[in-house]
Amino acid sequence: MIAGLPLAFTSPFILFALLALPVLWWLLRLVPPRPRRIAFPPTRILFEIEPKEETPARTPWWLTLLRLLLAALIIVAAAGPLWNPPPAGTRPTGPVVLIVDSGWSAAANWDERIATAEAIVGRAEADGRGVAVLATGSPPKETTLLRPGEAREALRLLKPAPHTPDRTELLLPLTRLLRTVPDASVIWLSDGVDLGDGGKFVATLNGLAAGRVTVVTGGIAGARALAAADNAAGGLSVTVLRADNSAPAQGIVRARDLRGLALGDAEFNFPAGATETEARFDLPVEIRNDIARLEIAGERSAGAVELLDKRWRRRTVGVVSGATADTSQPLLAATYYLSRALGPFADVRLAEGASPSSAVERFIDQRLPVIVLSDVGNIVDAARNRMIRWIEEGGVLVRFAGPRLAAADDSLVPVRLRRGGRVLGGSLSWEQPQKLGSFAREGPFSDLTVPDDVIVQRQVLAEPDGQLVERTWASLGDGTPLVTAAKRGRGLVVLFHVTADTGWSNLPLSGAFVDMLRRVIALAGSGATATDTTLAAERGPAPTIAPSRLLDGFGSFTAPGPTARPIPADFTGRAIADHPPGFYGPPEGLVAVNALAAVDRLAPLDLGPLQASVEPYSRGAPIDLRAGVLMGVFTLLVLDAVIVFLLAGGLAHLYRRRATAALALALALPAIGHHENLRAQELTQSQINFALQATLQTRLAYVRSGDTEVDSISQAGLEGLSVFLSQRTALEPAEPLAVDISRDELSFFPMLYWPILPTSTRPDAATLARVDAYMKQGGTILFDTRDAFTSISGRPDEISPALAKLREILSALDIPELEPVPRDHVLTKSFYLLRDFPGRYTGGTFWVETLPDAEEEQESRPARAGDGVSPILITSNDLAGAWAVGADGQPLLPLTPGEPRQREFAFRVGVNIVMYVLTGNYKADQVHIPALLERLGQ
Amino acid sequence: MSDTPANMRQAEGEVRTTAYDAARLVAAMPRLVLEARRVAISVYHGLHGRRRAGPGENFWQYRRFVDGEPASRVDWRRSARDDLLFVREREWEAAHTIWIWPDCSPSMVFTSSDKVTPKRDRALVLAFALGELLVRGGERVGIPGIMRPTASRAVINRMADTIVHFAGEAQSLPPPFHPGSRDEVVLLGDLWSPTQQVKDAIATLGANGAGGHVVQIVDQAEETFPYSGRIEFEEPEGAGSITVGRAEAWAADYIERVARHRGEIRTAAARRGWSFAIHRTNRPASELLLALHARMSASPDALPHMQAAAGPVEEAAA
Repeated sequence: MIAGLPLAFTSPFILFALLALPVLWWLLRLVPPRPRRIAFPPTRILFEIEPKEETPARTPWWLTLLRLLLAALIIVAAAGPLWNPPPAGTRPTGPVVLIVDSGWSAAANWDERIATAEAIVGRAEADGRGVAVLATGSPPKETTLLRPGEAREALRLLKPAPHTPDRTELLLPLTRLLRTVPDASVIWLSDGVDLGDGGKFVATLNGLAAGRVTVVTGGIAGARALAAADNAAGGLSVTVLRADNSAPAQGIVRARDLRGLALGDAEFNFPAGATETEARFDLPVEIRNDIARLEIAGERSAGAVELLDKRWRRRTVGVVSGATADTSQPLLAATYYLSRALGPFADVRLAEGASPSSAVERFIDQRLPVIVLSDVGNIVDAARNRMIRWIEEGGVLVRFAGPRLAAADDSLVPVRLRRGGRVLGGSLSWEQPQKLGSFAREGPFSDLTVPDDVIVQRQVLAEPDGQLVERTWASLGDGTPLVTAAKRGRGLVVLFHVTADTGWSNLPLSGAFVDMLRRVIALAGSGATATDTTLAAERGPAPTIAPSRLLDGFGSFTAPGPTARPIPADFTGRAIADHPPGFYGPPEGLVAVNALAAVDRLAPLDLGPLQASVEPYSRGAPIDLRAGVLMGVFTLLVLDAVIVFLLAGGLAHLYRRRATAALALALALPAIGHHENLRAQELTQSQINFALQATLQTRLAYVRSGDTEVDSISQAGLEGLSVFLSQRTALEPAEPLAVDISRDELSFFPMLYWPILPTSTRPDAATLARVDAYMKQGGTILFDTRDAFTSISGRPDEISPALAKLREILSALDIPELEPVPRDHVLTKSFYLLRDFPGRYTGGTFWVETLPDAEEEQESRPARAGDGVSPILITSNDLAGAWAVGADGQPLLPLTPGEPRQREFAFRVGVNIVMYVLTGNYKADQVHIPALLERLGQ
Repeated sequence: MSDTPANMRQAEGEVRTTAYDAARLVAAMPRLVLEARRVAISVYHGLHGRRRAGPGENFWQYRRFVDGEPASRVDWRRSARDDLLFVREREWEAAHTIWIWPDCSPSMVFTSSDKVTPKRDRALVLAFALGELLVRGGERVGIPGIMRPTASRAVINRMADTIVHFAGEAQSLPPPFHPGSRDEVVLLGDLWSPTQQVKDAIATLGANGAGGHVVQIVDQAEETFPYSGRIEFEEPEGAGSITVGRAEAWAADYIERVARHRGEIRTAAARRGWSFAIHRTNRPASELLLALHARMSASPDALPHMQAAAGPVEEAAA
């Protein structure tokens, strides 16, 4: 642990690596950041330039500092920093023997103690050390080393004991254990309270493992306890104890009844340095009598609970005196003696100014449990009957003899009395005054010591009777009864055979008188107890009471466990392991056993003789700081990378990248959108109609140019060609269709007639892509610039506006190499034999895709054809114009130059083109048929 | 020395780099071919500098007589067989070999920005387009040491083919050989080889009196030197590297050196009657092609004009 800070390192020697940091500083300062590398072709020219004066590039000091910090943090992380470190024992290796004080005095801070213990176990686990756990509350016979996991389980099962354990019981297993593992470190989680066993334990432990012991004590609040509750006349007081100043000085004692309801609070406050103070409850006696449990609020331990049973209950005793002169000499009256004797444990009510009968009736009305009749003779009938009923319902009637009783003939006495009484040691008597002889063993006075200073001079005598011995509680030296008692119903009638004043004996002056009265009065209100006592007295000398509600170590009531044994009925003193604190006996006759006896005092544990290191309990769980430090290392690494990146001019690079990415995005987005549009279009009804129309019958098609006149000529021309085809060939095309090149599906048509106008706009890129795809996939486009008449014929360098437009369109397409139709091209033979390709004009060249070189083919071959059909045909002869016929079948447009068969040939050109497009090189192969037939011999 | 692991690794790396470069070149080739065709077509249709018909001995074709032509051109023997007047055209027999050298060495792959065409691509496009134009014009086109002169129509394909399949290492300058006196040489490259090497190459090629055109294709960054900070410049062809502390301080000296380098090359070219032009990759290829073609179409006798023609190109490029 570092001074002042709850910080420790699991491997502190690694911190010596910090000494290497200055070397690292030097190295880091020396190595400059890596330059940007650029492949630069004219580098040779740079070679020739004189090197410039340059300051040596060094790492900036703050970057070096950052890296040093990074290295330091790594070293610190490797050393394993721990916040709130648990004690590790005096030795870094070897097993750990963990002694846990687990009496009630440890219960108040049990969680902290167990957390510390678990932290110790966790650290032992990290270091690979075995752990033995010994708890004072449950001393084991034998103990062995556990693996840390098992030790943690054992700690989890550990509960504080409710009684005050004896630490010395641990010494035997500890001695055995330390003999087997002599290199063990001992860690004692002490509660700091000595209840008599501390000195011996410390001394023995010092002998066993001097110098290897770590005592964990302090740092958390010490234990407080309650003892010696006293229900005095003025109020209920209880002693609050603490071992030393570590326990909080102020607090509240709370009183509860048997059902746990709070009845009242009493504050207490330890004077500085005091270990003992008092809390007082000023409550009405009826409420005080209901108190069954006192506890220090907020202190969860069995020691902080004081259980009260009926012995602490205050009775209200009605005292009725038969004498009338009582008031004249009050300090000598029987009532005065009784009041003084009952005062410590009962409230006395005197019947003043009333006849005994009315006084008795009044007390019965007030439901007093005990009525003392001092030398009262007879009671009149009404009061007497009520009194008998009262006794049979549980009342206790205590009578004292006197001249009136001796003269009366009253049956409300336990034994029959001889009239007149007996005088001992008087002038007419030869007998000596008698001393108190013995207490009956079965009676309530059995545990009282017989005082030898009590001298009885006069008494009333009982008639000898068979039941006399049984009913005698106390007798004089000559065997005559002094106190007799008889059960009557659930109640009791007790008779003192002497007066309550000093007239007949000095018993009222004796201390035994108070004790005797206390016992008698304790019987009141619990007739069963009296019965039990009597019954138990018949059974044997050692009556036992089974536990009913016991306290656990935290001071809560629990059901009795299997280890709790019944107590003797007269059990007093401190709770032990066999008799845990709690209530014993049946609900109507509970006997309280407390963790602390009335005389117990808490003493601080004296660790002076022990050679041990002392550490306080840690308040929080230990925190492994490695994760945090490593995260810091990572953050610094990222920071360093960013700085290096920026230093190397990475920012500009980044901007370029970003610009590129943005550009790519900008390009991609419209493409995506366009794709979406295409998909959407596929679904429109008009498209479906168009597709059906185009595919159900073979049709010629032309590209709508946007010029109505041209479009109508195209329509009429293709219609004329369709009619011509139907008349002359097997092909019977349906009505031609107009195609919007940018929207309609092209793949339905084998051929498109595309008139080019100088004014037509160039299609956009997407449309051109469609056209390109159409041509690539087998379609043929017949471009017609329709300007052979206006252009100068035969001059390849002349460019008409329409041709320029066509070139503009074609420049964006993947166009194969073109050539004028060669003479042996299949186009010249596909249906009619043609030499040239006239339309409305005759001058224009008809272009097709260049055929492969003819050299390797046979010279004699009459027709040549490429593998496929030329995807592109270009003419300027205005073919549609020549084909155009009106509704009446008459041509619409005149021809130029207008030779007679020009229109016929124009139609033939159309037929050849259509046949060429539809059949491909089939026609080229057809020319071989005669040769093939000849070869087959037909 | 050479069989140390480090050297072997380096050699292996070089092979891999070369293979990668070759693959990239092959991948780029169709695009370059297409672009070359496009450029060639536009220039071809725009200029028609060389016609097929021209002064020569052999019959080329008959064409119709056009009004306004000198009557002496009419071939009366042919015209007599028909109602039309014909002119007899003869083949232009100026055909000779043009050696085009596109520099494909690693240094040509350099681009200062993704948006600018690499110099090699530009050199190839120019070479292809020029080859196409010249072959259409009836010339024979060859690449020194790589492709023999050919007049094939598919000259672009053939050039691309031979360049792609050329097994040897790509050199910055053409191998030393002596073209015929009527041949012409077109050097397309960045010419960042040492000045003396460039001058020697020009001297060797022009030794027999061949004409020539030297075009330096440069990236913009190679002229303006827009660098700053600590930079290690590396010669892509393995001539070493140099680390510069503050690159901005070197710019002025660099630009001055580049100017001197060019001046010496220009002088050397002018001594042989060759033209020298600078082309920057951020300018369209057709610009240079137009100028180059115009210069080559000019009569070989008019060398001084060609020299003059080089001026505007440089200005345009600048």
